[in-house]
Amino acid sequence: MSAIMKIENLHATIGGKEILKGLNLDLEEGKVHAIMGPNGAGKSTLSKAIVGHYDVKITDGDIIYKGESIVDMEPEERALEGIFLSFQNPVEIPGVNNAYFLRTAVNAKRVHEGKEELNAAQFLRLMKELVNELGMKTEMINRSLNEGFSGGEKKRNEILQMMMLQPELIILDEIDSGLDIDALRAVSEGINKMKDGKRSFLVITHYSRILDYIQPDYIHVLKDGAIVKTAGAELVAELEEKGYAALEEA
Amino acid sequence: MRPVDLKGISGKRIMELSLANKSMERAAKRLAELGIPDRKSEEYRYFDIEPLMEKEWEPAVKRRPQMIERAHRLVITDGMISSMPEGLEVGCSDTLDLDVSHFDPMYYFGHLFGGDILQIRVKRDMKLEIKHIFTQPGKLLTYRVAIYVDANVKLGIYESFEAEEAKNALIVSGIDLFAARDSRVALYKDQTLFESDYTPLFSYRFKIDGNAEVKFASFDMGSGNGLQTLHAQLHENSSILSDHLLYAVENARRGTVSKFVHIGRSSQSRQRAKSILADRARGIFDALIKVEHSGKYTKAHQNSKAVLLDSGAYMASKPQLEIYIDDLEASHGSTTGQLDEKELFYLRSRGIAYEEAKKMLILAFANEIIDSIDDENIKERIHSSFEYSYYGKNIIECIQTCHGCEKTVTMSQND
Ligand SMILES: Nc1ncnc2c1ncn2[C@@H]1O[C@H](COP(=O)(O)OP(=O)(O)OP(=O)(O)O)[C@@H](O)[C@H]1O
Ligand SMILES: [Mg+2]
Repeated sequence: MSAIMKIENLHATIGGKEILKGLNLDLEEGKVHAIMGPNGAGKSTLSKAIVGHYDVKITDGDIIYKGESIVDMEPEERALEGIFLSFQNPVEIPGVNNAYFLRTAVNAKRVHEGKEELNAAQFLRLMKELVNELGMKTEMINRSLNEGFSGGEKKRNEILQMMMLQPELIILDEIDSGLDIDALRAVSEGINKMKDGKRSFLVITHYSRILDYIQPDYIHVLKDGAIVKTAGAELVAELEEKGYAALEEA
Repeated sequence: MRPVDLKGISGKRIMELSLANKSMERAAKRLAELGIPDRKSEEYRYFDIEPLMEKEWEPAVKRRPQMIERAHRLVITDGMISSMPEGLEVGCSDTLDLDVSHFDPMYYFGHLFGGDILQIRVKRDMKLEIKHIFTQPGKLLTYRVAIYVDANVKLGIYESFEAEEAKNALIVSGIDLFAARDSRVALYKDQTLFESDYTPLFSYRFKIDGNAEVKFASFDMGSGNGLQTLHAQLHENSSILSDHLLYAVENARRGTVSKFVHIGRSSQSRQRAKSILADRARGIFDALIKVEHSGKYTKAHQNSKAVLLDSGAYMASKPQLEIYIDDLEASHGSTTGQLDEKELFYLRSRGIAYEEAKKMLILAFANEIIDSIDDENIKERIHSSFEYSYYGKNIIECIQTCHGCEKTVTMSQND
């Protein structure tokens, strides 16, 4: 099995405070990895470290993606290389048109890959198709990016971006929180459609429900800044029953 | 021609000029009262006027063209009409219903030293493009344009500037706009300046009669210096909507000083300034709205928002209301901030390069003003002016044709 990403002894701080404390994690190509763990454990911090968020300062260790360290790469370079994060709290950007934004992003990626840019019509056709598939309102296309979107609408918009950008390593930070039943199904179907045996997923969640839909290959428990346990999908039921505290004794 | 030493203009020379007619006499009187601007002048306090006033300027030569060509737009080259559209009524005159209460001495200077005033009369609805061309480097060019819009007429003007060959010139100019009753006038000024281009000291005067509506929108961009002063007089039921988009980079000093006076009742003014300042640029928005005793039931709203892209950038924002009555609706506000780091990161995390992401956010900030342009063609041109000043004039073509060099994009204009 080849790893698309290797995280080695990662230490990272936010505002001078150490949050990740020697975290090790291998993500396998074509697999779905789920991360669970208590609030404040550092799950979002890990996802931010991977995409190069300015809040997070890496003090030790390394993140290797496709065989190369990415810790010194700009966020946009990481994205162009195929890393995608669906944010726990996507920002609202008033005045930036959703379609225009996404077309710019899609075309930046296409140019990076040496492909021809999509013109407005080609792009809109594709976007409309996916918007319908995700059960989003068509008017979202021309609204300002996430502005005034409900929590669930923002999450669907993240999935829309994922589907348009076709990334290779997809990190979903609590994509399921705040979603109604239909939205959860639509989002999960979107994710499942992206599975192609090569693409890898890192799904951060608190709930087993989404995992029923997308069937993870591995469950990792992140606690106090480190991965403390890795197992198969069966671990979910055990965690649901006993909670994270029980892991100490194990 | 004699050089003009702005500071040392003799009373004698002004006297000579003032003998020409009544309006020249008034201009001379007002200029004497206000004095040539210096460091202490209120209206120029944020603008570095001293070096311009201390220099000895050689006046630009005004060449009367052999013939005036027919074109789809009005072209004014070094203060003289060189081409114009068919059917436009244009004349020259040395008399004018002068604004005797303009606050800017350079308004009067322009009238005194500008020679004949180009006068345009608009009797039917039309769109007019005015292009100003400056060709004389290092010279002082002074001229004025007056536009008379007849009652009930609807006029849209797009004003643009071309000055490839007017390095370090000083242009003292501007428009006297007379909007007669029930007229509707929109004036868009699109002026991108680079460092060492000419410096415009433009003064506008808007006389807005009953029920008339004026929209003025300025799009000031680039690394050059320039100041526009606006004086509007609003009569009963009239309105002015004044938008100012400023995108200033490098060492630019650029902005607007204005005074809108509500004379008639139920008149309305709304002024929005949006300024984006990079590097060490300084933006100016020094704006007074005054409501006279006679201006009952007026509405006056004024707002200035600035974004500073770099720590060396500075915004001098001073919106003010001066009100003598109670029965009115008025507000003013001013904010200065930075681009939102979270927003910038979000865009970058989707693969959008830093410079592009920044541009998107700047345009998002500016869009309130750009989107309120109802003419798509003008909107398009404003967008390209922005691109031009954003990327610097020497690399814009590269950006349009190749996408591989985005990383090398900087604000610099170096060859
Ligand atoms: N910008 C910040 N400034 C200061 N502290 C922060 C910041 N962001 C995160 N933290 C702190 O870092 C720790 C880890 O936060 P993180 O968001 O990674 O937790 P999490 O595992 O994602 O939790 P949750 O399940 O609640 O989303 C928390 O104690 C949090 O308060
Ligand atoms: Mg989190």
